[in-house]
Amino acid sequence: MVRVEVLFPEIANLSGDLQNIAYLKRCSDEIEVIEDNLIDEPMFLSEKPDLIYLGNTTESGQKIIIEKLSLYKEKIIELINENVYFLVTGNALEIFGRAITDNDGKNLAGLDFFPIITKCDMLNRYNSLYLGNFVDNENEIKIVGFKSQFGHSYWTDKETSVFDKECGYVFDTIKGAGLNPDITFEGIRKNNFLATYIIGPILILNPLFTKWLLKEIGVTKPALYLEEDIMTAYNARLVEYSAPDKDFIYH
Amino acid sequence: MKFKYYIALWASKLAIVALKITKHNATNFPGIVALKICPDFLKYVAKPERIIAVSGTNGKTTVSNMISDILRADGKNVMNNSKGSNINTGIVTAFIYGTSVFGKCKKEIAVLEVDERSVIRIFPYVHPDIMLVTNLTNDSIMRNAHPEYIRDFLNKYIPKTTKMVLNADDLITSSVAVENDRVFFGIDKMETDVTECINLRNDCQICPKCHHKLKYEYLRYHHIGKAYCPSCGFKAPSYDYEGKNDNLTDMTIEVKDKEGSAVYSLPNESIFNIYNLVSAVAVLRELGYSHEKLVALFSKLGIDRTRFNEIKVGSNTLIKLLTKEKNALASSRVFDYIHTMPGDKEIIWMNSCQGDIESWSENTCWLYDCDVEFLNHESIKHIIVCGPRRFDHKLRLKLAGVPDDRITMVEKEVDAPSKLRWIKDDYIYVLYGTDSFDLGMKVADIVEGLMQERKDETNG
Repeated sequence: MVRVEVLFPEIANLSGDLQNIAYLKRCSDEIEVIEDNLIDEPMFLSEKPDLIYLGNTTESGQKIIIEKLSLYKEKIIELINENVYFLVTGNALEIFGRAITDNDGKNLAGLDFFPIITKCDMLNRYNSLYLGNFVDNENEIKIVGFKSQFGHSYWTDKETSVFDKECGYVFDTIKGAGLNPDITFEGIRKNNFLATYIIGPILILNPLFTKWLLKEIGVTKPALYLEEDIMTAYNARLVEYSAPDKDFIYH
Repeated sequence: MKFKYYIALWASKLAIVALKITKHNATNFPGIVALKICPDFLKYVAKPERIIAVSGTNGKTTVSNMISDILRADGKNVMNNSKGSNINTGIVTAFIYGTSVFGKCKKEIAVLEVDERSVIRIFPYVHPDIMLVTNLTNDSIMRNAHPEYIRDFLNKYIPKTTKMVLNADDLITSSVAVENDRVFFGIDKMETDVTECINLRNDCQICPKCHHKLKYEYLRYHHIGKAYCPSCGFKAPSYDYEGKNDNLTDMTIEVKDKEGSAVYSLPNESIFNIYNLVSAVAVLRELGYSHEKLVALFSKLGIDRTRFNEIKVGSNTLIKLLTKEKNALASSRVFDYIHTMPGDKEIIWMNSCQGDIESWSENTCWLYDCDVEFLNHESIKHIIVCGPRRFDHKLRLKLAGVPDDRITMVEKEVDAPSKLRWIKDDYIYVLYGTDSFDLGMKVADIVEGLMQERKDETNG
């Protein structure tokens, strides 16, 4: 079996993110989904999963998850170093940084795996479309998606963080914002730890990326559920987003 | 600044005259003019003796109108913003109408429908005596993020002196303004209640005290129900105003509080509207009305039980239903409603956001928070997807298990009626959004025209 561990679905579930895993499961009978609730001891402490998923959450959810995962920092670092796949979406990315700050003076310490500081503007939500490239060895896949967030993250010096800022990125932006609007590199990649600000059904919107992921996590016959429909929707969106006059930031 | 205020008041009064001459009535234009001249207009404008604010994700328009109508039926001189919007320009417009050219307030009570995110511009200057929050549920993720964000936003700006009337069946709403004087309303167990959430969206799954998973004595939909924590004993607040013994045959519900109870007529069978009635009664009771007087006043209003612009021509029935775009919960409620209704159905699903077509593209995440699965029902024989997001809608329907042969796709919304299958005696639902309202009416008119043609052919 290929085991997908979903962390805290009872709070990390905004913007349809959990449908990513529901879709993955429908792609292969080999996939087994294990959901860890906050009161549970995560499965990754005792057994190695093939993919760990953490979705978009509320601001209080970020705080609760940081408290919970702080208990298992060493183990998570070990899993990242052992090339276990992680997929982290939306503002769950910020949990793995040094701090989450906002314009009301909040300064929430993160897990500090990566030297990023998140700056949130709680009065102004940033909404945009996203078009970028995912590059992994010989694969280059066009990525489409949505961003809807209060914060942007900025690389800073390593100081206390576990990994340095030479970490890779997940997507190379063609249109839209990267990890922040000043850079084109989107997300954080360390080995097979993939964190992106893109929210929602990223695996349903991006079938080619999903096929790549299915293969990487060990599905022996990676196939897409409803392939024809999902590819039609993907191609239509790709054409739409590639139009030169398409405005990406929502005003 | 007071000088600026008077200039703003007079300029906006002139704007009202201009609007009357040009026959533009329902508009925020006077408020826009006033705020342009005097940005803190609300600080200086004279206020009525009492101010009631109504906010929340769903029901605020209906409830604020209901409260205003009852107060007017009782002879009160009421100011409200029903003709404008519920943001600051609409509120300012209501005050301009309610103020004389000399700056005196002409009204004795204000009932203001207030958009949740507009409290930042309103509450620094307007301090409600009573504020009702109907519910806080999933809305546009682009504007409102998530219900907890809106709760925290309200908490920042609601004045400490305001008495809160809150929904006890919504744990997010019931945690608004915890330091204020508060009373709670709710509805006792209903026949259709469940104990486990069947919806994709549930915004309140964990105990706020110990983070264990919450359980529900009864659950209506999403996170609306009577919650408790089996681990630490945390419980939802008790009801000060309790709707009970709902009777959907007689269309009545009893509302009980510590001083007594009365049986009220229901506007329709939707749970949303039952909550609306109970919450309005709670606010009016807080204003000092007796149950006896309220029952008499509600009966004066009469009840319009016309359902959703339903039109029957020949053997088919057309139903136009607002299905708010980019709003998973609102759409889920509509889909749930349709699948429980009797008869065979065809649906024209056309609530793509029209405003996003020109230069942007709709954020379709909401489709994956929305219970499209309700449309996978044997009574729903045919669904036509159309408009800019037709590929996304078709994919979502198929992921919900709707068979391919029940789905038709056309590019343009206006071409959708030509694809109807005209199943005998079926109900044809046109689902449009706020943004596609005009287009929805146009499509519905085409359907109605075809229904008439078919009837004429049958008769001819």
